[in-house]
Amino acid sequence: MTSEASVETADSRTWIGVTLAWIFPGLGHFYLGRRRRAIFYAVIVTATFLFGLVFEGRLDWPEPGAPLTYLATFASLGSGLLSILARLLIENPRGGVLSVTYEYGCTFLRTAGLMNLLLMLDVYDITRGRKS
Amino acid sequence: MRISVPVTMLAAGFPVDHFLIMLLYAFLVSSFFAMLWASDRPSRTRLFTKIFGALVLGGLAVAWLMYPFPS
Repeated sequence: MTSEASVETADSRTWIGVTLAWIFPGLGHFYLGRRRRAIFYAVIVTATFLFGLVFEGRLDWPEPGAPLTYLATFASLGSGLLSILARLLIENPRGGVLSVTYEYGCTFLRTAGLMNLLLMLDVYDITRGRKS
Repeated sequence: MRISVPVTMLAAGFPVDHFLIMLLYAFLVSSFFAMLWASDRPSRTRLFTKIFGALVLGGLAVAWLMYPFPS
């Protein structure tokens, strides 16, 4: 295999891994053969996300004039398919603002998204040889 | 077709305890970072303990500092 071809293979492996990592927590690591880690990450991130829903948190969406909602949306959409499915399927994606656990729910949902974004970076580092 | 969130903490009759929720959050976050940042079991355990302790004790310290402020 020429060096150009091997770079191309590494590139495609990287982007497939990173995309899979965004789609579902742990899927990128599973693709790279790190199965135990993948299962652990899937359980932890999915549990954090589901607790966020159970605590009646809000699935953020950008609101004109509120710049922080753009950052919150970025964090929230980090959960990939979980976030998209929840937005499509649940009755009240804006959460229960009057619920006593609303703020906790928002925090859990954003944390799950940020965790998954870190997993995407981890997959990137592994495929680039920066991490074993 | 849309579904309602099947269970909420209040509807399920769980006690809504701020400290328990903080412990749960600290557990999930410290487990995640221990696995992400440490490579072997002893260092993972140490890192988990450090992050978990920092989150819980830090939360309590901030709560204690905020106590004099009226709501």
